[in-house]
Amino acid sequence: MLPNLKVENLSSVRSEKVIFDNINFEVMPGQNIEIIGSNGSGKTTLLRTILGLINQDKGQILWLDDNDNYNKFRTFDCFYQGHQLGIKNLLTVYENLQLTKNSIGMPQEEIYKLLERVGLSNINDFAANLSVGQRKRIAVARWLLKEFKVYLIDEPFSALDDKATLLIEDLIKELNAKGCSFIITGHRPSNILASRMEI
Amino acid sequence: MMQSSISDWLTIILRRDLIIAFRRSSTYITPLIFFLIVVTFFPLALGPQESLLSSLAPGVIWIAALLASLLAVETIFSEDFRDGTLDDFFISLEPSFILVFAKVLIHWLITGLPILIASMIAALVLYLPFESFIPMIFSLLLGTSFMSLLGALGAALSLGRSAILSAIIVLPFSIPTLLMGTSVISSSLINQDFSGYLMIMGAMLAIGIPGLCLLTVEALLLNYE
Amino acid sequence: MNKIWNFIKRWFIEMGSPPLFYKWSSKILPWLSIVSILILGVGLYWGMFYAPTDYKQGDVYRILFIHVPSAILGQSIFMFMAICGFINMIWRAKISGMMLKSAAPIGASFTLLALVTGSIWGKPTWGTWWVWDARLTSTLILFFIYAALIGLHSTIEDKTKADRAVSILSIVGIAIIPVIKKSVDWWQTLHQPSTFTITSSPSMSPDMYQPLLICVIGFYLFFALLLTLNLRNEVLEREKNKNWVRQLFGGLS
Repeated sequence: MLPNLKVENLSSVRSEKVIFDNINFEVMPGQNIEIIGSNGSGKTTLLRTILGLINQDKGQILWLDDNDNYNKFRTFDCFYQGHQLGIKNLLTVYENLQLTKNSIGMPQEEIYKLLERVGLSNINDFAANLSVGQRKRIAVARWLLKEFKVYLIDEPFSALDDKATLLIEDLIKELNAKGCSFIITGHRPSNILASRMEI
Repeated sequence: MMQSSISDWLTIILRRDLIIAFRRSSTYITPLIFFLIVVTFFPLALGPQESLLSSLAPGVIWIAALLASLLAVETIFSEDFRDGTLDDFFISLEPSFILVFAKVLIHWLITGLPILIASMIAALVLYLPFESFIPMIFSLLLGTSFMSLLGALGAALSLGRSAILSAIIVLPFSIPTLLMGTSVISSSLINQDFSGYLMIMGAMLAIGIPGLCLLTVEALLLNYE
Repeated sequence: MNKIWNFIKRWFIEMGSPPLFYKWSSKILPWLSIVSILILGVGLYWGMFYAPTDYKQGDVYRILFIHVPSAILGQSIFMFMAICGFINMIWRAKISGMMLKSAAPIGASFTLLALVTGSIWGKPTWGTWWVWDARLTSTLILFFIYAALIGLHSTIEDKTKADRAVSILSIVGIAIIPVIKKSVDWWQTLHQPSTFTITSSPSMSPDMYQPLLICVIGFYLFFALLLTLNLRNEVLEREKNKNWVRQLFGGLS
């Protein structure tokens, strides 16, 4: 079993300030990484650097391809959810799930079932009228549209009540069993099974 | 697992953005109104004589179209950048400049197309002869498309800052479009052949679409640093 | 042959490092200043006082010894900036970004000088301070493009990011400038069939051509001098918290 992603000696400096330094980890299929840090500690920058949105100053990021070789470029799709969730206010709950890249070809009933799974019943409400918790549920529903080898989620557990937290923990466990890995960030350690590191 | 191609994704982006644009009618009404207001200012400022206005008409219509498209382009990326939708463009394995082009196309449909339609009203009130309507529309079609491309680059470079800044950094580059576009209409007024100007504008568009979209991708990525 | 190639490669890589550039530029600065001011001085003096009087335009034409080189420089500097921008985008060499930023105000000044001298030339020759001829109009547009680049750079706080933004714009600029020139030419012929250039150079005899050439070379060298000075300042400003700067200036913060 080879790790899908290897991060070696990653370091990022912006305007003379070291944002993070000497980050090393490997992501095995079905296993999670949790990155803990306070606000502004560089968690979002780290995720973005791993995804290739930002260039690192030192170190390398290696992705496994279909021939079991490691490359600096990615050959498979990842799922990224940033702080801002990517929810469109002028679309309904249903449309926020239907009009995404990962739900192409998915029949209506399946999308309804997903929304039910995450506990959303008001599918024709505009997203502008939803609470933060409900918006997070839409975001979480998107995780299930397709199975990705690696999910990178920025602060999945922030601003959630206990029910929603349990829901997400269950989903992560379920996806782990299918071989999907999560790299998540947060202020405090969560309850999921993961290798934790501080930044 | 469904294998989705990039054209499916483009369709999704188009549907999503057009639905959002139509639910907020100000998106496509404001450029149109701005265009008409600027056009109105000229007879107000210079006097309503038909001979004066019809000789000024090509220039006035083009200046109004230019300003309206440039100032309206500020929102092309700002909302998507703020709520995280833009990240998907650069994280996915698909070539991002095609996705950026989709955004530009949608933007043109929301701003350039209304301007195109409103230009006929403008031509009417500025006493532009009917024979020049078709050349005017063709020139605006090619010109406003190029303006959307330039405007997108300007918006990407000045994301989060004022609309004026994004207009300023791009205005000098729109001068060829202005000159060519007005020449098309002016030539049609004196029955001269204007196809050469249209071909140049078309060539600029042909090079501009890949070139400016690629540069816009680079400019957008700068905002993540 | 290989040794020379390796030397050039090493020189390029070294110049990419700010402290090495600073050391190298400190060494050549005295020579560059002397040579550039000398040649520029000789060229201008020759043109202003010793070149023969033009039989059509009298002594007024002498302003072309400033006008023509500054116009040439204004355009060449933009091309230089576009090349720097290209290198900056592809190889992310910070020094090329800094070179772009340092060259921009110099290029803008030369372009402005060309406009002003063009205007001064026009008044006695054609009677007006300004005329919308093809060359002057294109130069004016070039000045606006310079202004846009300098303006954009000053708006962005992170200077490396600002360099990259301006690199992108300079690439668009270099692609569109030929189009601007051509379209301004056509615009001129469409609206004024009898074309004329306010700053058409008088038919050049070798007595006029030689000092002009020296002026052009002098201007280029002067640009190199100004660029080096500007770039050194820029390097110091950006790296002011680094150790090598501290060492150089004896630990003063």
